[in-house]
Amino acid sequence: MDKLGSVMVIGGGVAGVQASLDLADSNFKVYLVDSLPSIGGTMAQLDKTFPTNDCAMCILAPKLVAAGRHQNISLLTNANLKHVEGKAGHFKATLTRRSRRVDEDKCTGCGVCAQKCPVEALDKFNEGLSKGGAVYVRYPQAVPLIYIINKEKCLGCGICEEVCKAGAIRYDQKDEELQLDVGSIILATGFDEFDPSLKTEYGYGRHLNVVSSIEFERLLSASGPHAGLVLRPSDGDIPRKIAFIQCVGSRDATCGTDYCSSVCCMYATKEAVIAKEHMNQIEPTIFLMDVRAYGKDFDKYIERAENEYGVRFVRCRVSSIEEVPETRNLKIKYEPEDGKLIQEEFNLVVLTVGIKPSESNKELAEKLGVELDKFGFFKTQTFTPISTSKPGIFVCGVASSPKDIPETVTQASAASTGVGELLASARGTLVKKKEYPKERDVRGQPPRIGVFICHCGINIGGVIDVPSVVEYAQTLPNVVHACDNLYTCSSDTQEIVKNRIQEYGLNRVIVASCSPRTHEPLFQETIKEAGLNRYLFEMANIRDQCSWVHMHDHKAATEKAKDLMRMAVAKAREIEPLERVALGVTRRGLVIGGGLAGITAALALAKQGFEVDLIEKNKELGGFLRKIHYTLENDDTQEYLRAMIDNVYSNELIKVFLNSKVENVSGYVGNFKTTVTLDSGSEVKRELEHGIIIVATGGEEYHPNEYLYGKDHRVLTQLELENRITVAADEKFGNVVMIQCVGSRNDEHPYCSRMCCGEAVKNSLKVKEKDPEANVYVLFRDIRTYGIMEEDYKRAREAGVIFIRYEEENKPKLAKIKSEGKEDLQVSVFEPIIQEDIIIDADLLVLSAAVIPPQENGTLAKMLKVPLNEDGFFLEAHAKLRPVDFATEGIFVCGMAHSPKPIEESISQAKAAVSRACTLLTKDTIEAEGIIATVNPNRCTACELCMLVCAYNAIEIEETKRGKVAKVNSALCKGCGACAATCRCSAIDLKGFTDMQMNLIINTLR
Amino acid sequence: MKPAEKEWTPKILAFLCNWCSYAGADLAGISRMQYPPNIRVVRVPCSGRVNPYFIIKALQRGWDGVLVSGCHPGDCHYISGNLVARRRFAVLKDLLEYLGIESGRLNFSWVSAAEGEKFATVVKEVVEKVKALGPAERLVKR
Amino acid sequence: MHNVENSIREAAKKLLSEKKVDLIVGYERGTLPLRTTPCFVDKAEDVRKLVWNENCDANLSKYLLSRKENVGVVAKGCDARSIAVCIFEKQIDKEKVVIIGAPCLGLIDKKKVKAKLDGRELLEATIEDEQIRLKGEGFELVFPKKDFICNSCLTCRHRNPPIYDVFTGEKVSEAEVDEFGEIADLEAKPAKERWEHFKEELDKCIRCYACREVCPLCYCKTCFVDQTMPIWFGKTNDLSDTMIYHLVRAFHVAGRCVDCGACSRACPMNINLREVVKKTEKIMKERYDYTAGLSLEKIPPLGEFKIDDSQEFIK
Ligand code: SF4
Ligand code: SF4
Ligand code: SF4
Ligand code: FES
Repeated sequence: MDKLGSVMVIGGGVAGVQASLDLADSNFKVYLVDSLPSIGGTMAQLDKTFPTNDCAMCILAPKLVAAGRHQNISLLTNANLKHVEGKAGHFKATLTRRSRRVDEDKCTGCGVCAQKCPVEALDKFNEGLSKGGAVYVRYPQAVPLIYIINKEKCLGCGICEEVCKAGAIRYDQKDEELQLDVGSIILATGFDEFDPSLKTEYGYGRHLNVVSSIEFERLLSASGPHAGLVLRPSDGDIPRKIAFIQCVGSRDATCGTDYCSSVCCMYATKEAVIAKEHMNQIEPTIFLMDVRAYGKDFDKYIERAENEYGVRFVRCRVSSIEEVPETRNLKIKYEPEDGKLIQEEFNLVVLTVGIKPSESNKELAEKLGVELDKFGFFKTQTFTPISTSKPGIFVCGVASSPKDIPETVTQASAASTGVGELLASARGTLVKKKEYPKERDVRGQPPRIGVFICHCGINIGGVIDVPSVVEYAQTLPNVVHACDNLYTCSSDTQEIVKNRIQEYGLNRVIVASCSPRTHEPLFQETIKEAGLNRYLFEMANIRDQCSWVHMHDHKAATEKAKDLMRMAVAKAREIEPLERVALGVTRRGLVIGGGLAGITAALALAKQGFEVDLIEKNKELGGFLRKIHYTLENDDTQEYLRAMIDNVYSNELIKVFLNSKVENVSGYVGNFKTTVTLDSGSEVKRELEHGIIIVATGGEEYHPNEYLYGKDHRVLTQLELENRITVAADEKFGNVVMIQCVGSRNDEHPYCSRMCCGEAVKNSLKVKEKDPEANVYVLFRDIRTYGIMEEDYKRAREAGVIFIRYEEENKPKLAKIKSEGKEDLQVSVFEPIIQEDIIIDADLLVLSAAVIPPQENGTLAKMLKVPLNEDGFFLEAHAKLRPVDFATEGIFVCGMAHSPKPIEESISQAKAAVSRACTLLTKDTIEAEGIIATVNPNRCTACELCMLVCAYNAIEIEETKRGKVAKVNSALCKGCGACAATCRCSAIDLKGFTDMQMNLIINTLR
Repeated sequence: MKPAEKEWTPKILAFLCNWCSYAGADLAGISRMQYPPNIRVVRVPCSGRVNPYFIIKALQRGWDGVLVSGCHPGDCHYISGNLVARRRFAVLKDLLEYLGIESGRLNFSWVSAAEGEKFATVVKEVVEKVKALGPAERLVKR
Repeated sequence: MHNVENSIREAAKKLLSEKKVDLIVGYERGTLPLRTTPCFVDKAEDVRKLVWNENCDANLSKYLLSRKENVGVVAKGCDARSIAVCIFEKQIDKEKVVIIGAPCLGLIDKKKVKAKLDGRELLEATIEDEQIRLKGEGFELVFPKKDFICNSCLTCRHRNPPIYDVFTGEKVSEAEVDEFGEIADLEAKPAKERWEHFKEELDKCIRCYACREVCPLCYCKTCFVDQTMPIWFGKTNDLSDTMIYHLVRAFHVAGRCVDCGACSRACPMNINLREVVKKTEKIMKERYDYTAGLSLEKIPPLGEFKIDDSQEFIK
């Protein structure tokens, strides 16, 4: 039996949404299942994200909307998995969809019901901090925007049923059962927050002014309970001193959570910074054990928090919190490193709660027959970070271990590659292509505008005098038809619109109703079905930006609605059909770099049937990984690498170019041309054509200048030690001193190399294993064994490895001491606990040397026209939600080319890059945007100013008969219009928002 | 008609970027925040689309005030449209004020998709400012 | 001055005879006193025509726009800077020009001279020892030269061309002047008074576009006021239209204007146009620490951004 080309994704958080979008964009049918009534998960609840302080909703909402509208995605919200049968390729899943008591097809999301509902229910989204009714949506921008009645809270008073003009309320709606046949399953169940009341010593639940970090996040949010003001719960005062207590429910064996939640240091710092931004009088203090700022650009963020925002970091474990009865302030007792007990009073305490495996994991694991790890996360392996123990079932995001948003998004895409590899043969079999009637050519015809004005139940009609607006619209030039509708978005009205288009020969359509951000695509679809180009459409927002915000001034609202009408008509008279140019795609990939990431990417592409050119600058494949021999889990990396390389060479779709480098790149998404130089004795040049590029140039080990490296044979790097451990059979190691952060987190390389802490823990365990008598000292600044690695850190300490912290200003010193005719290595380090220098005689001094970017990154970045960050690593399009994309379409990054990272993360990124690439490679053609810039060659002076401001490198200067002029590449232009607004000559304009249209709109003032 | 004849209410033209400020304005609506009805919104893809001509033309045409609003720095849907625009607006505003145009007529803000409240506040403030200035006269072509 | 003139000639001769350029654009003596006119020399023996003095006021950069041949051009500080701007903006091909940089000590402002003459006709003028002698029928007047120096030269900080291929003569010391002092008083006034001031000034404009024609940076194929579809702004003498013309022109030269003063000198109505564009220079300097025309690589302010650019005017 053939495999099925469909996938069930469980969990509608950012991971599930990303996986669904990738799959749907590469021609799989997706069922996105969420147990909540709307998708969005935890991220929809965040205020800002670090390190860029982006507004979380701003960046997430477009993805949610895209998922909600995607023709290959079915959203199954408020649904739970009942059971599953079958195996990879064909699973049969049974789901229960719980009743919303609201008809999904009828609800327009207008929210009148919630407005009128008499029940004050606690609003779960605002973490219990504000109130809402029994009929609700989780958050204002909810996807899908369908209300739900909370059965527990509902009085059954019938008010909503009465006010809902759409007749969507269904008190008697029953739960229903649903069967799905899918080829594969992705688990993206996210996480639960640790319940801070379990840590009784912190008094959560007892003391009013002790809040959890999630509650605090909502407090900070502009859409939160106090609209962004930080007010403390007991008295609504502004708290001056705020304490953040880290690791609440993390790194804590007493709660069974002896892993690190990976994100808390950063998000607490972010909350501290934002609190400070909101209200300058706030003095935040963060109590923590280590500053785990291991991610890309994270250390810089911490530094800014400390120096620019005055966030105080105190290293300690907090022993107790007591409330001062009169003030409700909190006294914190803590023991800093020097061991003196201190008591300090704060106005508000935030408990930075850790990540817990989702409660649902256990049940799911049983139903699906997959294994969990001892904490309750879905079990994965280093080399297969997105596979569960059962073939055909993949996992991504925090469902498998704590991780931050970019890693989550990366894994989501990677999981989609997992599915792609499995179901490649069934791709496209279950998606339908919608057929539309042939487009009517309206060019050159005088505009015949039809206007549809919506009452939106009473939302508009209750405030604005709709009939008078209809009457007014009829008087406007070129309007040949105007009418009103109760709900313009309802399916029967769509038929009316289509009929009127025929009846009146309309060639422009205006809907005056709600926001184009939510409804424009729907109406565009409708007019397309009636044979009109989708761009012959315009909207006037007379609800969200008129009737709803001027509810008490009916007259002014009606006047305003007329003005908006006039503006819409002015623009509509000038709108033209726009074309989405279809560009061919060369279905072949280019991967630059033959290390772990590059090899993984090449294989993943080939497994999905795409040809790949793999370019490696050295004489053999393997890169950095050649120097790593085992993992913390004791996997044999060299064996793995050998097998991968064999696979590459035996796969006929992959062509390997060794000793090669990229010489030149031209073209654009779908159609790149690359010149590669092969240096095998004599130089040979090759021209390659391909549709996508994956940059996987890797990283290199820093060659230390510090600590006599290269001058004394007893001084090694971690990688050299690893080699030695592997080769030497039974060596005696004696005193091994490891120094962390050599070449990292300093002025030259201000970033954290991310993998060295794990390396040091791994190698010290190995040394101890080989020679239990050896003494291992690890001198560190922060131990950044994030995630499950924390366990190994603990293991190392239990094995007797001694960890000593040093400060950046007080680096360990190395001296050579002559004794008995030989020179001893002596390391001295200031020990903060005993406040004294400790001296260690070292038989081996091991330096955890930084990972640095390869030199060639600079030239390659220029050729590809993609940016590097300050540290010389490639800079992705968006730190959170587009971790492997570049702003320039068709080019992707993975592995250490992006930033230093351990093996499993490189593998995930490589697969993620492939997933993103497949959304292009699986298409015959790529549709360019319709709204793009165009150049008027008669005006253009080829001054190149537009090129400077275009963030997408979409403009080039072209030599024409009439001289040089700018040319917009429609494949790359995103339609922002920055160029058009910058050009002094008005030589470049933006379709869909033309100068002409804007001018007419401005002129509508009366 | 002279402004004095009828009771004058200011008319303000607002250019809002689609991805943040327009969404913020929607959120103000969804949250039923009330603000003065003097503003007319033009949706643009990005604050980077706003050509100085739009603003100057609006002033010449007699709009009493102009508001341009986009995503906060770092949030622009088109990466840097707002950052390029910010410089353009700074220069334009400085120049217009130098020529003697009242500063309250030209308004800029960053309003995110989550800042419905901020949007309402911005509108209120702009309307207040423009009211205090009275009907536009300088630069208006009669 | 003489040695500069000589070395300009030498440089020109060398360039022509070594066939490095096909043409030299420089200045020759004009027919009227205190005048020079641009001249084109394509033979080595003709370099004697070239002069160098305080009347070489035309900004020759405009003559380089869309030239096909290789050209050597005589350039003062401000000229060289506008050439640099045009090179950056790809209006002048760097490979095709040789900038013969010459130090400048300030130009004579003919309008200032004219004011002193009270309508009498000038027949002869000589400049010697920082003094200027004006002769005409029945009069001979002597003034200190500094009384007649162009305002733009008085605040110039780049008398030596910052960009050149050949430097002629010796570098002169740069004056430590308050670059933006000229507009400080005006800036300090309340908006209403500024408005009245500009209203009065710009109302004189007859829309002859001399300022635009002479500006080295106004090279658009169709100036915005001449565009249709849409017609953004009118071409009338209506005050609003006129104001906007000058406002937009100032905006268009923001970050590019080198304060050569050509627009002011060209205005037949004696409008001090520098007063408008000077402000753009100041904005660029204060907000973005940028001075136009000092580099061929540096991206001008409106073509780039920094994440922490000033934004005190944004809510
Ligand atoms: S259509 Fe009815 S159920 Fe839906 S939101 Fe409006 S009032 Fe509520
Ligand atoms: S379109 Fe405008 S900005 Fe771009 S090169 Fe042409 S004239 Fe310059
Ligand atoms: S519209 Fe934006 S993306 Fe398109 S060419 Fe212009 S600046 Fe580039
Ligand atoms: S998209 Fe909002 S400012 Fe660019």
